[in-house]
Amino acid sequence: MIRALSPARMKEAARGRGLPMLLLLAVCLAGVVEIGRGLYVPAKAAVAQVLLERAFDRSLAAHRPLKPWPWVDMTPLARLSVPRLGVSRVILDSGSGQALAFGPTLLPGAAPIGARGTAVIAAHRDTHFRFLRDLHAGDIVTVRTRQGLNRRYRVTGTSVVRWDRYAAPDAVMGERLDLVTCFPFDAIRRGPLRYVVHTEVVTAHRDGA
Amino acid sequence: MQHPLAIRRALIPAIVLALGAPATLALNASSAAAADEAAPDDGPASGVLLLKAKGVSQALPAVRLGTDMAVTVTGQVARVRVTQAFRNTSNAWVEASYLYPLPQDGAVDSLKMVVGQRVIVGEIQPREKALATYEAAKKSGTKASLVEQQRPNMFSTLVANVAPGETVLISIEYQAPVAQANGTFSLRLPLVVGPRYVPPHTLTGQGAAVDAQAVTSAPVLDPALGVKLNPTSIAVRLAPGFDVANLVSRYHKVNVSGPLNDRTIRLDESVPADRDFVLEWRSAAADPTLGLFAQHTDKGDYVMASVTPPVDLSRLPTPPREMVFVIDNSGSMGGASMEEAKASLVHALGTLRPQDHFNVIRFDNTMTRLFDHSVAATPDQVGLARRFAESLEAQGGTEMLPALKAALADAAIGGGNDPDTLRQIVFLTDGEISNEREMMAAIDADGGRSHVFMVGIGSAPNDYLMERMSTIGGGVYTHVGAPGEVAAKMMPLLDVLSHPAVRNMSVRVEGGSLDLTPSRLPDVYAGRPLVLVGRTAHLAGTLTVSGMIGSKRWEKRVDLTRAQPSPAVEKLWARRLITDVEADRALGKLDDAKADAEVERIGMESGIVTSRTSLVAVDQTPSRPQGTPLTKEDLPINLPAGWDFATLFGQSAATVGRGADAADGGAAMQSQGLDLPQTATGFVGLVAEGLALLLVGMTGLALLLRRRAA
Repeated sequence: MIRALSPARMKEAARGRGLPMLLLLAVCLAGVVEIGRGLYVPAKAAVAQVLLERAFDRSLAAHRPLKPWPWVDMTPLARLSVPRLGVSRVILDSGSGQALAFGPTLLPGAAPIGARGTAVIAAHRDTHFRFLRDLHAGDIVTVRTRQGLNRRYRVTGTSVVRWDRYAAPDAVMGERLDLVTCFPFDAIRRGPLRYVVHTEVVTAHRDGA
Repeated sequence: MQHPLAIRRALIPAIVLALGAPATLALNASSAAAADEAAPDDGPASGVLLLKAKGVSQALPAVRLGTDMAVTVTGQVARVRVTQAFRNTSNAWVEASYLYPLPQDGAVDSLKMVVGQRVIVGEIQPREKALATYEAAKKSGTKASLVEQQRPNMFSTLVANVAPGETVLISIEYQAPVAQANGTFSLRLPLVVGPRYVPPHTLTGQGAAVDAQAVTSAPVLDPALGVKLNPTSIAVRLAPGFDVANLVSRYHKVNVSGPLNDRTIRLDESVPADRDFVLEWRSAAADPTLGLFAQHTDKGDYVMASVTPPVDLSRLPTPPREMVFVIDNSGSMGGASMEEAKASLVHALGTLRPQDHFNVIRFDNTMTRLFDHSVAATPDQVGLARRFAESLEAQGGTEMLPALKAALADAAIGGGNDPDTLRQIVFLTDGEISNEREMMAAIDADGGRSHVFMVGIGSAPNDYLMERMSTIGGGVYTHVGAPGEVAAKMMPLLDVLSHPAVRNMSVRVEGGSLDLTPSRLPDVYAGRPLVLVGRTAHLAGTLTVSGMIGSKRWEKRVDLTRAQPSPAVEKLWARRLITDVEADRALGKLDDAKADAEVERIGMESGIVTSRTSLVAVDQTPSRPQGTPLTKEDLPINLPAGWDFATLFGQSAATVGRGADAADGGAAMQSQGLDLPQTATGFVGLVAEGLALLLVGMTGLALLLRRRAA
């Protein structure tokens, strides 16, 4: 196939059945590029998590936020784990679409983790938050923040809302955490629906353990 | 026998309360102050309907009930005969009790009990005496029946000593005025009492517990049984004195026959009593020239006059408004009601203008103010409120008082401190609570310049509460009974909201004297009549109603001698007097003892059932043999149509936990709208697309190369 691209053959090809051949080659090339672009997404997500994991551990040790790699504008904020599913994710402190490619992010409009109110963490349904579909009421979600704050949350339920029809209870309803991703999980197209896992805090350790 | 009954009545709520843990304190505490302290922090208990412990009937009752309603509408008054047939299908002697609604402004004046061939006519007696008469008859084995008023719109019938296999007919009669708004007349026949929420703080003693037991005594039949109880047939003879047009039965299929000025409307088939029957009509002619009726009696002349202010106010400028929307998301709203309430609220939010201020408050047994104070109705804020409304879910109890107080309270702050601003409270609820008097007292005490508009939601709202709250609060009552009705019913209300009431209203009579009710004139809006009922020794003279609409003076004169005769006005006048007394009681102008005495006097004088007078009928011949036991049965009722059984009775642990969480904060709770980001990379789609392209390309190339090789 590669030989077919030599200038002499191309000239010959252009004379005869070459034009369709050229078009088909372009289609193949486009396909390869698309696959590459597609695979780059989960690869980036996975690699970023590894780097973030390291940055998070270093941040914990250094007691100050450290960037996972030099040219980004976000820092790891907390580690979220679901023991039952063996899942662990590092949460970022920026809600930009850019940051979402690297990890789940805490939405800036909602409450901070560890304060009364509802913290909201969003991530992509096909990478970091794919496990949300396996979370059920009663599951335990643990969060450890950069400052060493530990929280255990229990899943109280799930719901599906439109992206612009979501309201989070705050302050008086106690400490809560909502995990948000797109819905339905296996859709090809992007849609207006969001899947929300509601949790509320069960224990609040203030020690670093 | 009276004593054990009283104990049993008190015992059941006591058991229920014991289950509801902290609320028990309210009963045991000797002082009311202790009860007040116990109430706010009782978390889960406050979200539990008193009904819950015993309120569900899993089996069909032994006594089956069928109801027939024969209605005659003449002029603007409906006379209704309700016949309840109690059939005992068991092998035991039974005492049956049935709780049912009647129009809140109706006057029950007749009770007949039909046993075999005999008709026993009931007589009016003071409440305790009637109960004693009934209990004595019950004990001696004779058939007896007792009709008591539990609320102005809620009555109960007791029938004692129904033999195995026997049917006893109880026939009561009442009259009620026909409502009118914007030229549409409407007749509402309520068919079912919605389960009521009893706020724990109101259970301060024996009397309160007995009262709470009375309004929640009817168990709700579990819909899982798949049957509906209490079939009802309705026939209406409609002779309003003019040709009827636009005759509509809102929620039931009907057959209509007869000439235009004397229509007969029948239910297509008998229906289960699970939602209100509403009939509406208009006059075929432009102006029915009606609205004045009189009755001549030995005691004097009675007159009823409807005066409607001019409808066209569209050219009047609408002043800036401060609107506070209060929405009920308690458990009883579960199902269609919640959707209707949300849709109504969203509809109303859509009519806010930038110069208006607004706020939204939601409540169940907790409460949330969307904003601390009313804010300007910018598109952002209205959008936030809309999202807030859409996110509401029905659960928990109905603690309406704190929400009402919050709505009334911020009158002095926020955007509404300009005296020209109209301050309006739009309250969306089904009103299924037992502490109606507290609500009225709160509106009167803190009402200030706020106008309270009630929007009744659902198939069977508590119209007594709605009507009284809106009257005392200087607003109007609108009922939204089906999801499809939201726009049709909210539009006229919003029209009313955009224009001020007729102000400085006064009524005077020239050339005669007239004792008029209501004593406190309500606020009157465009298209809504002021209905006056009065008594005089001799009817004469002219009635003049006047007031200010905007900056213009408006006046209407009615020549009283031209009234048409109607046999119902006297009873309606008595009912009006009682409403006035009850209003004074709720507003603290009359103490309980005096109010009770006054109600009893009026009830006895006019022979109508009131909170202090009951109708009792006793057969002369004993029927139950001595020594045969008598079984008491509280007849179950259907859940009102559109209600969600699971929401009402099957509160999940998570819900209760949430309620407990909310209670410890105490203060108003905020909820925050948040736009959620796009969270799909769609990489699977990209890879799939790429694979598809590659496949197409490779296949094409393969074909091409093979052909060339050939």
